Amino acid sequence: MKAIAPMQAERLFTPFLDAVDGTLCLPARANAADIHALVAAHRLRFPLLIDAAATLREHLDAATHAPASCRFGPYCDNILSVNWRLPCGRIARIGEHVVKTTTGYDWLRFLLHSGSRFGEPVDYVLRLRPDCGFNVVARFDGDGAALRDCVSRLLHSGWMHWWDAVDFIAEGAAASVRVTVHCPAEEAPIFAEQLTGVATKARARLTLKNDPPPSFDGLPDVIIKTTPDRAIGLANELARDAVRCEALAYHGVVHVHLRAGQDLAERAHTLMQPYLGELHALGGDWHSRWLPETPPSVTESRWIETLEHALHGA
Amino acid sequence: MASPAQLAGYASDALGYKSYRPDAVVIPADAEELVGFMQGARQLGVPVILRGAGTSLSGGPVAAQGGVIVHTSALKRILEINVEGFWCEVECGVALNDLDAALKPHGVFYPPDPSSGPVCTLGGNVASNAGGAHCFRYGVTSNYVLGVEVILLDGSVHRFGGPAGGRGPWREDWKRFMIGSEGTLGAFTRFWLRLLPLPEKVWTFRATYPDLRSIEAAIHALVAHSSYPAAIEMLDPRGVAMVERSQMACGLPEGSFMLLAEIDGPAVLVDARVEPVAQLLRRAGSKDVVFSDEDTLRQKLWKARKAAGGLLGQLSPDYVVQDAVIPKRALADVLQLVYDEADAAGIRAVNIFHAGDGNLHPNFLFDSRVPGELEKVELISERLMRRVIEVGGTLSGEHGIGNDKAAYMPLVFGPDSMRLQWAVPAAFNPTHQLNPLKVFGHRRFAA
Repeated sequence: MKAIAPMQAERLFTPFLDAVDGTLCLPARANAADIHALVAAHRLRFPLLIDAAATLREHLDAATHAPASCRFGPYCDNILSVNWRLPCGRIARIGEHVVKTTTGYDWLRFLLHSGSRFGEPVDYVLRLRPDCGFNVVARFDGDGAALRDCVSRLLHSGWMHWWDAVDFIAEGAAASVRVTVHCPAEEAPIFAEQLTGVATKARARLTLKNDPPPSFDGLPDVIIKTTPDRAIGLANELARDAVRCEALAYHGVVHVHLRAGQDLAERAHTLMQPYLGELHALGGDWHSRWLPETPPSVTESRWIETLEHALHGA
Repeated sequence: MASPAQLAGYASDALGYKSYRPDAVVIPADAEELVGFMQGARQLGVPVILRGAGTSLSGGPVAAQGGVIVHTSALKRILEINVEGFWCEVECGVALNDLDAALKPHGVFYPPDPSSGPVCTLGGNVASNAGGAHCFRYGVTSNYVLGVEVILLDGSVHRFGGPAGGRGPWREDWKRFMIGSEGTLGAFTRFWLRLLPLPEKVWTFRATYPDLRSIEAAIHALVAHSSYPAAIEMLDPRGVAMVERSQMACGLPEGSFMLLAEIDGPAVLVDARVEPVAQLLRRAGSKDVVFSDEDTLRQKLWKARKAAGGLLGQLSPDYVVQDAVIPKRALADVLQLVYDEADAAGIRAVNIFHAGDGNLHPNFLFDSRVPGELEKVELISERLMRRVIEVGGTLSGEHGIGNDKAAYMPLVFGPDSMRLQWAVPAAFNPTHQLNPLKVFGHRRFAA
């Protein structure tokens, strides 16, 4: 077989909406309203938005998961590709138009949450999901044991696949569990019955809202990735020093919202110090969009140097 | 192992027709022994090829440049199943179905399900980022790997991630490069994998369609449906004919396209979705929609799909299965190209694939002993890959590149993205001693 000649130019994406595949390419500066305006008429949605005003790029700089990751996975499983501006200024295509690929090394997932260390995103290709037209938001209240029981019952059954979100929310000493369901209106009573059953068995109080207006938690100041069985405890502990913590229960992610102020970076750093050993032992991590980049370890510096050589166009 | 008879078993993978006799095969007893081997191999300057069960369909775990195959079959312990945390820790040589069997009593499962499940190992699955029939909803291997333990060529052992699935103490998320790296960066020893609760109930649907346009309409309607099917599979008329002319015949109409779909969930929810899904399949033009939630009947509905893979081997001494992924709007276009090219060259082509993902598996049946047949298949494959890239697709969805598709990589990557691709092995395996000539054909090891 004759060798195929190398390409002379990058196959960059231009903005598109593929309503059949449910894929959308749009600029990294787009926000929730921009996405909704493009996809709603096609009965599609991008369920991983957590802030109404923030751009997609700001979402990815602040967080790796959203509440709806419970059902659809982290951002990196829902962003298929990017046009990426390299440090040298040129733009390269990273990833594919299609929903599945094993073609080459996975630079996409490596770069998505790398901040500005290796360049920056110009456009994202999003994987969209069918818009079923109806939402149910459930709130469970009760003591700590009841809420933990709720979360366990919600996650450890076949129903887990159908909750958009199962979030434990701690605000100071108060706590609740929030479940979001996205479904056709005719299925809402089936979900309501199941949620009622969970509340009864766990001895928790349930409040159901049918199709409430969309609400957003806002971008977190600190995110922590731990194991699911550790996330609720961590959210409870961190809530003492924060305005609010959301534990995205299935993925073991904690979103921390700190009190507004001038010293967010310092407070984020101080808040996390007692937990670093535990997180590293579990293969977890933490990140704050307010903190400057941390230096790499000695071992990874060598690898990074090689990658940077390529990224700078050498 | 070094005797010719022993080495013969390692000369090829499931791709079959390309064989390369290794110089030796080693089976380390544990990870510690593997560390020692890697250090020794580096000093000796021999190519090293990691291999699980050898079920790769891309010419991945073969000694394309000679060297030593490391068979990881002894590293087969399931170390921990943590149900509360939805994770498990396993060694790389665990067979996929053995893990499934161990997880089932706990009410959880690991979703990727390549058809080689009874024998393929998790090491091979992670190395090739394996998929399977139910990946339409559940996703592929990379969606479920929380952490990887890797031995690099210098013998250093690193853990990237772990049960929590983050970066661990590293600044960067190095596991991302490891998953799907096809044995070119390091030797995997263990993984931490994410688990899901088992679905309570499954309904399987089978429908046939008289033409491509109507089955395409059914596929498009299914992917947008609120039941979120777990699997949407398709067998083309040539596949249907192959099954119906065999002992595995199951009464499918000659000349029809067969669609297989599966929905799952809690009984009360999924039962309510059955009739809407059946109506959707009928509206698209099927007159023989059958469905069941009963295990024996479901297996019968799957029969044609599952039998087809095995029948290919009976019909032809050799076959190549391609793995391109295309946007679903291009399905008719690309399938027509497969038929036109194969018919013109006198090569039999059968399509059995994951329609929901747009993940095509055209199988080209040929006899490598007949002069010119392999060249014809390679020419068809190249034309197919060019068309796939033109319509916005990619070379591989779940099999990996191996040495089978390495030649097509210049169709995908421009000058900058190609340089980034090359930088990854340059960081971890700069001499290409690990699995040379794979992924990129120019990755040749110079001792």
